[in-house]
Amino acid sequence: MGVKLLLEKAHIPGIRTYEVYRREGGYRSVEKALQSMTPEAIVEEVKKSGLRGRGGAGFPAGMKWSFIAKPEGVPRHLVCNADESEPGTFKDRYLMEFLPHLLIEGLIVASFALGSNNTYIYIRGEYAWIVDILETAINEAKANGWLGENILNSGFDCNIHVQRGAGAYICGEETALIESLEGKRGNPRIKPPFPAIKGLWQRPTVVNNVETLAAVVPIINIGGDEYAKIGVGRSTGTKLISACGNINKPGVYEIDMTVSVEEFIYSDEYCGGIANGKRLKACIPGGSSVPILPANLLLKTAKGETRYMNYESLSDGGFATGSMMGSGGFIILDEDQCIVKNTYTLARFYRHESCGQCSPCREGTGWMEKLLLRLEKGEGKMSDIDLLWDIQRKIEGNTICPLGDAAAWPVAAAIRHFRDEFEWHVTHAQEAQTRNFGLAHYADPIHVPVTA
Amino acid sequence: MVKFSEEQLVEFNRLVARYPEGKQKSALLPVLHLAQDSFGGWLSSETMDYVASLLQIKPIEVYEVATFYSMYNLKPVGKYLFEVCQTGPCMVSGCDDIIDYIKSKLNISVGETTPDGLFTLKTVECLGACGYAPMMQLGKYYREHLTKEKVDAIIAECKAQSN
Repeated sequence: MGVKLLLEKAHIPGIRTYEVYRREGGYRSVEKALQSMTPEAIVEEVKKSGLRGRGGAGFPAGMKWSFIAKPEGVPRHLVCNADESEPGTFKDRYLMEFLPHLLIEGLIVASFALGSNNTYIYIRGEYAWIVDILETAINEAKANGWLGENILNSGFDCNIHVQRGAGAYICGEETALIESLEGKRGNPRIKPPFPAIKGLWQRPTVVNNVETLAAVVPIINIGGDEYAKIGVGRSTGTKLISACGNINKPGVYEIDMTVSVEEFIYSDEYCGGIANGKRLKACIPGGSSVPILPANLLLKTAKGETRYMNYESLSDGGFATGSMMGSGGFIILDEDQCIVKNTYTLARFYRHESCGQCSPCREGTGWMEKLLLRLEKGEGKMSDIDLLWDIQRKIEGNTICPLGDAAAWPVAAAIRHFRDEFEWHVTHAQEAQTRNFGLAHYADPIHVPVTA
Repeated sequence: MVKFSEEQLVEFNRLVARYPEGKQKSALLPVLHLAQDSFGGWLSSETMDYVASLLQIKPIEVYEVATFYSMYNLKPVGKYLFEVCQTGPCMVSGCDDIIDYIKSKLNISVGETTPDGLFTLKTVECLGACGYAPMMQLGKYYREHLTKEKVDAIIAECKAQSN
């Protein structure tokens, strides 16, 4: 059993309510921060913890906080990014649904550190019922003096508001989120200026992921140094992984980043192995936009070393033979799954979610979707595969925001590692409609007994 | 004529009060949700113009937003809107069979509404329930781990509710 800092108390009955949460030691970090620490000391503690943004980019959170501008007389804002929309990712939902007070607690401490008197939670519109859960928690916190004016006689005022989005993946990108929070289309802004200088309503703004802000609570409670001792290297602390696809036990798991990928997939503590006695074919380890890896590159790196569930190990080998930690959306594909079809659904997703601002992404995502559908249906040509490669190359790096890269990477990785499966859809067009390509040489090296 | 009730106006004022003076446009997304819920599950141009007048912004600012976000319906939908996820993780967990089953059961295609106006079927992209796939959104809540039997039960539940 690894260390649990966030979900340790998730299974206590009634933990969603203020009474139980407080009884279990909740809001201690607010007492500590507001009564014995300065905002600068809190930022310093978060820097020491090595906490990296849990939304996907993995940027050091303390560093991000230290960039916030503090012009005289201009309000600053903290915005919590709860627009969780990356396919395969459902960890923030779990946190908010079951431990709403943990997020509120982290938000109060972070708001104090950043000087935000009005903090916003921007939550994806589809999580409609979670808005009620969060607002109930906010009201309870307010009624007990943790929000409002002069919290704990510290002279610090803070209110938290929940804003619902309306169905747009792009609003998970921080500048698109800010635009949306201002009541506009979610078109990402050109940076600089960065939100830390000019964000919400042109005021200095920090946007952090739900899990990042929840992690501030244990960091303040145990101290940044202690937090940094958990995990390995620059992957400090714990990470929530949402596991899904063809596994026996889909769900949200908290890991301390010293677990191997093999253990994570096959042990009963986590995913419990591949469902229905099938074999592992491929995995998208960090949300749909990160490179897909065949089984033989997933469990071990190209150098033959064990691969672990952390930022460095998952990206070992770069994009040639590695992938990324991303948002922690861990998607497993068994031997019956078709890589071409899976890539097609992801391409369709990115076409649907492109905001349309930059030509390479607007045009390229739709073009890739059409080509992939053609290949999937057995109507493709061999040259379509090269064309796909060419299109994704021309999207990557040529757009205002990272959605372009996010759309390009899954297509690139699928062709890189599963090119013979794409070719098979052309050379065996009829057969590809009735039978899956199967495992070929991608099979996981682990012997899995065939179930009766 | 579309007009919020007293109760809806209280909610409208609560939404606008979250933002600084002069930044009432920020309330546009939540107000559009409120309007959609209040006026038959979709946004007519009359509704959008009304929202614009309430927020003191130009109608085009409302149209821009209403057409960008996928949760706003720009034409009428059935009383029960089945929004079934079809992205990668749901696909590998068998959502195609569920979508086909709903189609045959309700005798409609994706995007269509049953003649009695009760059901609309829509496919959507990832709703963040990947571990509980296949799934659909029905109103405010998610229906997860869908099977044919569960779909039957949901349809029966909706029919019973509408009687």
